[in-house]
Amino acid sequence: MKPLRLVTALAAVAIGFALARGQDERAVAPLVTPPAPPAPLASNVSDWRTLVGGAGPETVPVLDREGLPWVAVADFARLLDATKFWRGDLRKLELRARNHRVLLTVEDPFVVVDDHTVRLDAPVRSENGELIVPVALADSLPRDSTLARLYYDASRHVVLRVPPVGLVTGPRIAVEGGGTRLVFPVDRADEVVIASRDRAHFRIRFSGFYAGELPAGFPDGSLARAIRPIATAGGSAFEIEVAPEASGFRLVSDVTGHRVTLTFERGPAAGLEPFAPEGPAGPRNLRVIVLDPGHGGADTGVTVEGAVEKDLTLQLARILKGEIERRMRTRVVLTREDDRELSEDERAERANRAHADLVISLHFDGLPGGRAHGATAYCPPATFGSTQRESEGQGMIALLPWRDVALRHAVAARELSEDLLSALELRAQGPARLREILPYPLLGVNAPGLLLECATLTSDVDRRRILEPRGLSDLAATLADGISAYQRNL
Amino acid sequence: MPRRVFLFALLVAGLAWITWLATRPPQTLEGRNLKPDSMSTGFKSARLYFASSSGESLMIETREQLESQNFHDRVAALVAELEQGPEARGLRTLPRGTTVLHVYIDDRGLLTLDLSRPFRDGFRGGSAAEYLAIASLTRTLAANLPEVKRVMLVCGGQPIPTLGGHLPIDRPMDVTDLP
Repeated sequence: MKPLRLVTALAAVAIGFALARGQDERAVAPLVTPPAPPAPLASNVSDWRTLVGGAGPETVPVLDREGLPWVAVADFARLLDATKFWRGDLRKLELRARNHRVLLTVEDPFVVVDDHTVRLDAPVRSENGELIVPVALADSLPRDSTLARLYYDASRHVVLRVPPVGLVTGPRIAVEGGGTRLVFPVDRADEVVIASRDRAHFRIRFSGFYAGELPAGFPDGSLARAIRPIATAGGSAFEIEVAPEASGFRLVSDVTGHRVTLTFERGPAAGLEPFAPEGPAGPRNLRVIVLDPGHGGADTGVTVEGAVEKDLTLQLARILKGEIERRMRTRVVLTREDDRELSEDERAERANRAHADLVISLHFDGLPGGRAHGATAYCPPATFGSTQRESEGQGMIALLPWRDVALRHAVAARELSEDLLSALELRAQGPARLREILPYPLLGVNAPGLLLECATLTSDVDRRRILEPRGLSDLAATLADGISAYQRNL
Repeated sequence: MPRRVFLFALLVAGLAWITWLATRPPQTLEGRNLKPDSMSTGFKSARLYFASSSGESLMIETREQLESQNFHDRVAALVAELEQGPEARGLRTLPRGTTVLHVYIDDRGLLTLDLSRPFRDGFRGGSAAEYLAIASLTRTLAANLPEVKRVMLVCGGQPIPTLGGHLPIDRPMDVTDLP
């Protein structure tokens, strides 16, 4: 029986040994089954926010550590649209974006980008549970269409993802001889237009987004006196104040050199384009103004505590009609005189049939739950809208659908918008905002026009002001001021 | 005698098994983590555009999402996150109950997004609310789905010319149409 006992004992030892190993395996099992969210990055989740102004590219903040710019790896991955794979045991983070791989190791300055290794100025760090990496890594990424391009904007201390339409950076200015040259570094030098040739409001528009800094001042003798960015639909635009002694301008696009040169000349020179197709100087001839009271009938618009938008727009239109006719020799036509619902085609037809010189669609805004207040104007964009894209490839003739005919009057519509918003700001009825979007009530309207949200009814302050006994009369007087300014065309 | 031989053979087999257990190469944690299966699912930061509290602009909120290979699921997950609203500051931009019914993308990157009826029927507000709803949808989809170039919105299978009577949405839109 001794051998039997020996076998039994050995079997017991073996089983115990095996069970012990099984315990070990169960102990590590949670580490190998479903991957948990990358622990070092978790603290960064859901609390990173930034305000996005206009349609600007997405940005992330840059951290300053020992004089070097750094960026959080989670932000970096987000800009690259990369998926993160964290290997906690190896302290490695792999970023995968399309067919590209970036492998980062904590406390290691070497980063593997696809099939080559990059040495950074400093190792990847873990700071408060979050990985950070020198911004210089952005320069080591491959340049192809499958991977987002990142740009370090030192002036704003951010890293931004370059949008598909590319970037425009601040111009360099040089005064030579009688001319003044502004050189804009751009990614797409062929996508630039002069939106307005008015010396006082000379506007140049790029398809790319603006990043960088504008010059703080201009050299002596410069024909450009001031420059400022202006809101635009897509891309970026600048308004330049040009000296009256400038005789013309020249625009040269260097596609291979990635720059656009805008030159203003003092005297006659070859290839100069003239200023001012903005129409004859002096007062505009406004024979017919069409006021379009928004909504109507079953479409009440915004309704807040007794303030009904469709009623307010109609009352305002009636008062404004009297105010305009009292100040100017102008015929004012309302698209509706009573509480009825009109289709957009009917509104456009009434405006076009009246041969309107300008059209104002009157509305009151509302944003439930928001702190929004003030006025907003929507006017047709000058360029780079969907219409332009659809007309690409059609040779010298670009067809404009009748639906978008208001785009023909975009420059005048913007000037009208700015005059109206300025008047509202001056009368403390702002803040005033301008958005270049073709509004629905202007579809098919062949005249300069805009949709104006005169105030925000969901704002207690705005609503009280509008519902005061003289609220609408004061508002009408303010709008008439703006229309008069547009008519004077100073 | 045969019984002793059997027991001896059993003993040898047992010892051989123990020896194999003791001498086989150890399975390290690193080795286990590098298994392909454990690396097959990644996390992605979804960038969601909500309205700022002032209602004057959009703001980004980032959330971690499991990466999905199914395009419809990715679109539906993004819209569901938007419908839930922001987790801290900011305002919801989509009416409650908005869901994705169907999704179709063509080879030119035009995404046709069919949303449920609450998207249209539940809309309240003026042009600000309308702009923010459309812009947050368009930007969120474009920011998270590189294959999406333009977005065409339909509701309950029907085209909608406008949401609140201020902005046209009868055509495909991209982010440059919504400054």
